[in-house]
Amino acid sequence: MPIHEKSLIRKENLVENENLIIDGVDVSGHWSTFITGRSLTDYNDDMQDEIAALPGGENIHRCWQCGSCTNACTVNAVNPEFNPRYWIYLIRLGMEEELLRDKDIIWQCVSCNKCTYACPRDVAPEGVMKATAHWLELKGHTPKSPSTEFDEEFSGQVIKTGKIEESRVIMNFFRRTEQPLAQPWLVALIKGLAFRFPVFYLMRMGMAVVRRPRTRNWAKSRRAINEYVQEVEAANRAAVGAKGGH
Amino acid sequence: MTKPVLIVGGGPAGLSAAHALASAGQKVVLVEKEDRLGGAPILDGYAKLVPSHEWAKDAIGAMVDRVQGREGVDVRLNAQVQSFDGEPGAFTATLKDGTKIEAGSTILTTGFTHFDSVNKPEWGFGTYPDVVTTVQVEQMISSGKGIRCPSDGRVPDRVAILLCVGSRDRQIGREWCSKICCTVSANIAMEIRELSPKTNVYIYYMDIRTFGLYEGDYYWASQEVHKVKYIKARIAEVTSDGKRLLVKGEDTLIKRPVSIPFDMVVHAIGMDPNVDNMTISSVFGVDLNKYGYIAKQSTYAHLAETNRPGVFVAGAATGPETIDDSIAQGQAAAMAALNFKPAGKVAAE
Repeated sequence: MPIHEKSLIRKENLVENENLIIDGVDVSGHWSTFITGRSLTDYNDDMQDEIAALPGGENIHRCWQCGSCTNACTVNAVNPEFNPRYWIYLIRLGMEEELLRDKDIIWQCVSCNKCTYACPRDVAPEGVMKATAHWLELKGHTPKSPSTEFDEEFSGQVIKTGKIEESRVIMNFFRRTEQPLAQPWLVALIKGLAFRFPVFYLMRMGMAVVRRPRTRNWAKSRRAINEYVQEVEAANRAAVGAKGGH
Repeated sequence: MTKPVLIVGGGPAGLSAAHALASAGQKVVLVEKEDRLGGAPILDGYAKLVPSHEWAKDAIGAMVDRVQGREGVDVRLNAQVQSFDGEPGAFTATLKDGTKIEAGSTILTTGFTHFDSVNKPEWGFGTYPDVVTTVQVEQMISSGKGIRCPSDGRVPDRVAILLCVGSRDRQIGREWCSKICCTVSANIAMEIRELSPKTNVYIYYMDIRTFGLYEGDYYWASQEVHKVKYIKARIAEVTSDGKRLLVKGEDTLIKRPVSIPFDMVVHAIGMDPNVDNMTISSVFGVDLNKYGYIAKQSTYAHLAETNRPGVFVAGAATGPETIDDSIAQGQAAAMAALNFKPAGKVAAE
């Protein structure tokens, strides 16, 4: 006898034993189906503080749950599961388990900042989404997002040489995200360039790939930037790690 | 009016009325059933008051000082009015010890009674020692002993404050909002966070009624400065897992049941009508309203009047009231008593 309402129950809450005999009665399979409790059993008291300590999350404690952000949200219009208001509530009260259910959606924020303008309490929900995605990464709940990979490659080159080399950024980005280099749009772009771009410029581009020109006297700037980046990263790590307990 | 005005009850409203009348040169007899003046803020050992953040013993203490021993103010402690007869302008009150007091008019400032949490057994008060009331937390703070679990004296990691205990509850015949508990709870939450910063405070609410200017100084300050957390849920029951208290309910914003461990649970208890109101009603011949508080005649024209001419009322005797509004009402009642002219008689000039 199937449970008709199974669709309403979260999969992980449905438990079935393949082989189970209770008091001599065989209740294997669906006969032993039961539903585990769905009560929340704890708050993570530190969660709000941790996310507030990351860039963008500073004003999360101002939220009064009006829903203006979710209503304004570009992504929510496409995917109703994307609900900043709800996540802010979970974070503020430390409902970590609940938040982690949505860890693969949160990073999808497109930073259009409509929520930022709609928010009557100046929470800056876009910043909170950024900080939350960052928190999920730092805590090891999610891998680095593609945009983080891109940013790292991009800024890595800038820090190293003072310049970026577009073809190298693209190539390394695809390698980091394990995507094939032969993307149809990229192939079309390169073909177009090869046929239509003046030869002189093509040669200069080719030379740049090979020679990797650097900004002159960049070493000092690189040192300063590296120092700053390390400082910020250490602060972020401290923000989520210093207070233990989970 | 040459006869004194009788004021019954020495809390903020009564003290304010006594001071106002004495300042206008009117003689006053102030009757208080307890052994000292000050009313609930003093007798129940409140800590810092809303909205001034002054200690109750300083703020209300100062009100007591300016009345007690003042010329024209006759204070009778440990005294209760047993009977009240006569006509407007010429009342006679007889105290329990037989003393008779002549009065031209009277002001009832008999206050309220704190809700007794035992009447909501599902929330654990009386069963678990670490379930306490807002009044007990006020006392923990004002005594200087700090926030400690009564069971073993430890500083709690996590405190839950449950709002609307004894308010807005048809089940127990208390349909009113007690008006002050949201703000008092936010205030207490901030004081807990200040006294023990490691203690996390969660407030379970149905609605938040930190009305008027309390919105910024209490509701938001508690969240923005003190990181107090508000959860929209009416708690179903408080039990124990043997070690800590277990607070069960439904978080209505996420539609999920919660069953969360806490070290201490605080009931934000409401304001009941004074338990003596039936007696007060029959002694003074004043009507009670349907909730059991002393009924006011009119909101607009005759502030502080009861159904009986010459008998006025002020403060929490008329319904849940803040301290500052009780003080204002005490002055309004004083003004009404000063201007009172018994019907058919020419007031003594």
